[in-house]
Amino acid sequence: MKKILALALAAAMSLSLAACGGGNGGNNPGGSSANNPGSASQPGTDVSTPVDSKSDFKVGAVYITSQNDTAGYTFQHHNGITTAMKALGLDPADLIVVDNVPDNDDTAVATAIDTVVNQGADIVFGISFGYINAMNDKAAEYSDVIFSHGTGYMANDTNFNNYFGRIYQARYLAGIAAGLKAKELGNNNIGYVAAYNTEYAETCSGINAFALGAQSANPDVKVYVNKINTWGDETLERQAAQALIDTYNCGVISQHCDSAQPQLVAQENGAFGCGYNSDMTEQAPNGHITAAIWHWNVYYQTAIQAAMDCNGDASKFVENMGGNAYYAGLAEGFVDASPVNEKTAAPDTKAVMDAVRELIVSGDWDVFSGVKLSYTVTDGKVEITKTNADLVDNAGNVIVAAGGPSVDDGVIKGSMNYNVAGVVEG
Amino acid sequence: MKNRQPLFHVVKRESGSPGRQILAYVAAVALALVVGAVLLAVQGVEPLTFYKQMLTMGIPGSRYPWRAVENFIKLFVPLLIVSLALALAFKMRFWNIGGEGQFIMGAFWAGVAAMNLGESLPRPAMVLVMAVAGALGGGVYGLFVAALKVRFGTNETLLTLMLNYIALYFLQFFAETKADWNFFLDPESARPKFAKFPASAQMITIPIGPFNLNLSLVIALALCALIFAYLNYTKRGYEIAVVGDSPNTARYAGMKVGKIVLRTIFISAALIGMAGAFHVSSAGVMSASPTNDVGWTGIVVAWLAKLNTVGILVAAVLITVLQFGCQTASATYPAIDANFANLLQGVILFIVLAADFFTRFKLVRRGGKEAVK
Repeated sequence: MKKILALALAAAMSLSLAACGGGNGGNNPGGSSANNPGSASQPGTDVSTPVDSKSDFKVGAVYITSQNDTAGYTFQHHNGITTAMKALGLDPADLIVVDNVPDNDDTAVATAIDTVVNQGADIVFGISFGYINAMNDKAAEYSDVIFSHGTGYMANDTNFNNYFGRIYQARYLAGIAAGLKAKELGNNNIGYVAAYNTEYAETCSGINAFALGAQSANPDVKVYVNKINTWGDETLERQAAQALIDTYNCGVISQHCDSAQPQLVAQENGAFGCGYNSDMTEQAPNGHITAAIWHWNVYYQTAIQAAMDCNGDASKFVENMGGNAYYAGLAEGFVDASPVNEKTAAPDTKAVMDAVRELIVSGDWDVFSGVKLSYTVTDGKVEITKTNADLVDNAGNVIVAAGGPSVDDGVIKGSMNYNVAGVVEG
Repeated sequence: MKNRQPLFHVVKRESGSPGRQILAYVAAVALALVVGAVLLAVQGVEPLTFYKQMLTMGIPGSRYPWRAVENFIKLFVPLLIVSLALALAFKMRFWNIGGEGQFIMGAFWAGVAAMNLGESLPRPAMVLVMAVAGALGGGVYGLFVAALKVRFGTNETLLTLMLNYIALYFLQFFAETKADWNFFLDPESARPKFAKFPASAQMITIPIGPFNLNLSLVIALALCALIFAYLNYTKRGYEIAVVGDSPNTARYAGMKVGKIVLRTIFISAALIGMAGAFHVSSAGVMSASPTNDVGWTGIVVAWLAKLNTVGILVAAVLITVLQFGCQTASATYPAIDANFANLLQGVILFIVLAADFFTRFKLVRRGGKEAVK
């Protein structure tokens, strides 16, 4: 906007300076008397400043795109925060937000945080990874305010934590649906449109969990990853999904990217798919099976409640949260697989997913362990068989020996940089 | 219909008295605010409250008012320096729209200095080294275009524009490439992320109570005075004006036009680069998009002020109040997001610029010629 204005201005100036050399108009005295509409009164029913709600606890947030978005990452978080506020009796209209804050400019982030704090926020949520430096600095600077950073890894012992979820558990469930569908179709090729792959633990752990879930239902599947090197670009997402179908004849398409385009492409090609972030059955009712989704309000409600319980002493926040890195999963309801679309799913998909969900929630088993699952379904009753087997990456290295426990959370959140066997980067 | 004419002609007004000009500006701002008020009311926001918060930038009654002032200064200083520098080039009718690129290059080279020398130099020396590195980085980037123009007559508008994007992606390459040689990044982070500068590379601040006065503000204001003197009271400043009016006249008067262009553009771009250095030094860390669009906004400021140094100071203050105030005011309204705040700024600037246009030009209707003597 500003850029266009500036360019137009520069162009107009250079043109007018060049062209109007001999412009000789008569002098026109005061033809356009500048009428000053100074007191155009707005209907002044009442001068309403935002009304104080029951509690004077103030929630603040810094967003990467607009708070008025209707889909996507910021929308999911905004929706989570406002849902949590309502549940806690706070008025979402009192939420203090600075939005469209780029996550690659620390000055802009720091200024946005200052603004939110200055407007009275008692807790500040920053939703993008790149806010990490500024969140860390400001947590040290404002010890009377609580800071909570999504997807980051920095924290302190008093007023600053980070939060993320075990979305890999939800992806394992979605993988089961994909594997069963592949078996039904008799087509063992599954496609995966990914923002990135082994560059980020967040992306490759998702791919791996999905692949392991698919293999548990159908040991012969191969997951072909097509990465687009950006978190969201509808055109690229579309092309990547189409390429997977055209090149590998994939019958099921999963994704780790912002929009529902891969699911739409699957549907258009008569294929099926598993979405991400929100239940994409809405967009692709004849293609989509189930999606790995977040319930951000679960975290936000926990965090705001913990912050309110501090009663003004921000330093108690981490203690109230039971630690400075919130990392919840299926058990807490923070992540889940969206309701199975019976129109597209293979038979028994829901039953198997429910059984595995129950197993993961119980805490007896987790995805990246040396124990593989397989299923037998008789009359709708699911029996899960556990088999000890090495967890192997696709270069043949053993990650976890047969029967070993699941890898550390630190690996899943930070240092995982491989694909498991059966994943092919195409 | 013998001679077809366009419906309207744009004709320059004889002379706009300064009083009339100012009156037009005031009227334009008022009109823009009314338009904005309507837009706000449609969104269900009480316009007067919003405007009050916007103009005071939310400072009264805020928890840390001094911090808001510091942030204002951080936005204001780069805009002021860049606008001043662009005005130097524009005076010579050198259409430098490469402020973004020169700013990024300044920031980049200042960052190179900070990350490599930061441990070894004391703070005042380090800040100085960064300023010089930034000035050279930006200056050479601008000089390159000026040299091509002087030597081959290339179009500087196109070149400076395209070099903006080269600079931007050049910097982003360093921001996103995780490798052992990349000294910019934090080795501790699994994801690529800029490391903070060593403490000595942080901009010097002068504590006044809880408030920290950023030294770059003092420097920027001093630059204002220097550039005012340079343009109005020195031979070189006069040369810029002459070359701007007519290169042929300058040549006839024995001036070396090429040399004057090279020198002035180097100074202009170097100042912009230095602003970039001040910016990253104040932030204490590199950024993949450090400019906050000053290279563009600076053009608006320079022209709004008619390239007048004092005018630039005033316009830069007003635009920063508008930007920062919009952000602060919109923070407390769910309906008002940053996009709307941008729209509001755009409306205000557009109407002011339109007013500016109509005080200097007028539209004459076809066939209205008889009315004009």
